[in-house]
Amino acid sequence: MSDEHDHSHHDHDHGHEHPAPVAPELAPLEDAGSEALSQALKSSFGIVKIAMVVLVVLFIFSGVFQVGEGQRAVILRFGKPVGVGNEALLGAGLHFACPYPIEEVVKIHYAQLQTVKSTVGWYNVTPEQEVSGVEYPAGPSLNPAVDGYAITGDGDIIHTRATLTYRIVDPLRYEFEFTNAPVTVQNALDNALLYTAARFTVDDALTREITRFQDTVKKRVTELVQKENLGVVIENCQVESRPPRYLKAAFDEVLTALSTRDKVHNEALSYENKVLSEAAAEAANRTNTAQAERVRLVESVKAEAQRFNDLLPSYQKNPALFANVFLVESLGRVLTNVEDKIYLPERADGKTRELRLQLSREPRKPPPGQ
Amino acid sequence: MKNPLTLAIGFVLIVIFAALLICVQVRKSNVVVITTFGNVTRTLSEPGLYLKWPWPIQQAYVLDQRIQNFSDDKLEEAMTSDSYHLLTMIYVGWKINDATNFFPKFAYGSISEAETQIKPLLRSAKSAVVGQHPLADFVSTDEKQLKFDDIEREILKKVQDQLNQKNWGIEIKFLGIKKLGFPDSVTADVFKRMTSERQVLSSKTLSEAESEASKIRGLANSQSTEIIANADAEATKIKGEAQGEAAKSFAVFQQNPELAKFLLGLNAMELSLKDRATLIFDQHSQPFNLFQGYSTNLINPATK
Repeated sequence: MSDEHDHSHHDHDHGHEHPAPVAPELAPLEDAGSEALSQALKSSFGIVKIAMVVLVVLFIFSGVFQVGEGQRAVILRFGKPVGVGNEALLGAGLHFACPYPIEEVVKIHYAQLQTVKSTVGWYNVTPEQEVSGVEYPAGPSLNPAVDGYAITGDGDIIHTRATLTYRIVDPLRYEFEFTNAPVTVQNALDNALLYTAARFTVDDALTREITRFQDTVKKRVTELVQKENLGVVIENCQVESRPPRYLKAAFDEVLTALSTRDKVHNEALSYENKVLSEAAAEAANRTNTAQAERVRLVESVKAEAQRFNDLLPSYQKNPALFANVFLVESLGRVLTNVEDKIYLPERADGKTRELRLQLSREPRKPPPGQ
Repeated sequence: MKNPLTLAIGFVLIVIFAALLICVQVRKSNVVVITTFGNVTRTLSEPGLYLKWPWPIQQAYVLDQRIQNFSDDKLEEAMTSDSYHLLTMIYVGWKINDATNFFPKFAYGSISEAETQIKPLLRSAKSAVVGQHPLADFVSTDEKQLKFDDIEREILKKVQDQLNQKNWGIEIKFLGIKKLGFPDSVTADVFKRMTSERQVLSSKTLSEAESEASKIRGLANSQSTEIIANADAEATKIKGEAQGEAAKSFAVFQQNPELAKFLLGLNAMELSLKDRATLIFDQHSQPFNLFQGYSTNLINPATK
């Protein structure tokens, strides 16, 4: 408190006498401050200058760009391609363009094959479901807003989808004439699938003419992209078709019937083979037997004849004796073979004897093994 | 030293600013519409750099001149001339062909606005054309009857005619059908028909297979009978030949038919008595005639 009082008093006394010494005391201070400030400004200005130079350099070098393999680039100077037609296309390597807005670089993926898929004719299924094999259950009808399908020429319903690969041959058209060229290609593919299904029967599309179906889709897409002048060339087209899932059992039944038909047919053929070869064998057997018979007959008659010739002289000498000798000889041979021999002499009174024979014979013993 | 640099930088900045105000860049694939006090006065469709009066006198609007894809987002039902309900979805490729007319019509040349306006035109054209055709023009196994391309062309023509009439500056480049379908309830009927078709097909396949197979079997059987019959004929012929050949040897027997008969008789007897035969003799038969004159129990019948 007293200090404050002192001070105010003192201030009052020397208020007018000593203003000058205060100012000189402050001036060097201000000088030092501004000097420091200008020093700081100068150095920071230097930094800014360097930064600006760096920026300018970066700005200029930002015009350098790289075009990768399979890419093409077009430089637009004030929006207009530099170069006429395909000369405007820059190949792989380093290139320079002035920075925007003077020039603009448009890169186009050129060489690699582009792929589009059409699922407009496919039922509602996500790729994950397809991998896991768990799909929405098939209902007895199809809501076309949910499940896609195509109508065949005979008015049936099938599911069909396609994967198309194409190459860009006119990158300038592809890039600058269409807002979304892949979608345009996909629309053409959708159309081609419907167009093709509409002229095939269900069996041709699903089983009999799969390749022709695919070729027709490809042909149609090719026509469409040519007509639409997309600047692309269709490379390949893969189509997959399927009967409606709800009718799987019915379609499987037909497949089973078809394989049964093949089986039955093959069985009939093998029966034919068997019967014919058996017949051929039997026929050969019969003619061979006849042939053997012929040889045997001819030979035996010859032998008889020979024997006759041999015996004739002795017979002619004494026919009765000859006959007797021969008869008895052969009877002797015969009698050794005969099973029952019954000698039945005449009755003493000269009457004929009565002999009763039971003709029912005991059956032959069956040969062993039957 | 300081001043000229600052001045130069300032000058450059002013030039750039002025350039931005009076220059218009038309990028390839774009079209630029220049309005003077709100009215379209110029359209620039060739790419390059152009000059204009600065704002607020003139203003530049950039429009996309490329072909736009547009398709109905939902299937629409239309009745064919033979009363089938058919759902169709179509796609078009369209572009601005006259920016002067296009720009004022659709809020500063808005593409989506234009598509909203195109949609009803497409729909009415589509249902009108579908109504003129029977179902067989859309789907048929007969190439000649199909009018797929004609239908697309007719829709395109109808839409384009209307667009020309309205003078919107829009050109349809191409149009195609993207989806064809039946209503939900009809698909159920189609499924029923397909099921019975399949059943007919499978039973037909099976019965055809059976009849085919039995035909093959029958043919095989008759062929086999024929082969055997032929063989039999051949065998008979061979036997006949054999007998003819044998007959030649019979000439020998003519020398003494008595002996021949005797020998053949002997042979026949021997052959016939080969097996399990029973022979009954009386005393007159050789060789048992030898027993005659000897005493046997027969001599004395009284003992019996």
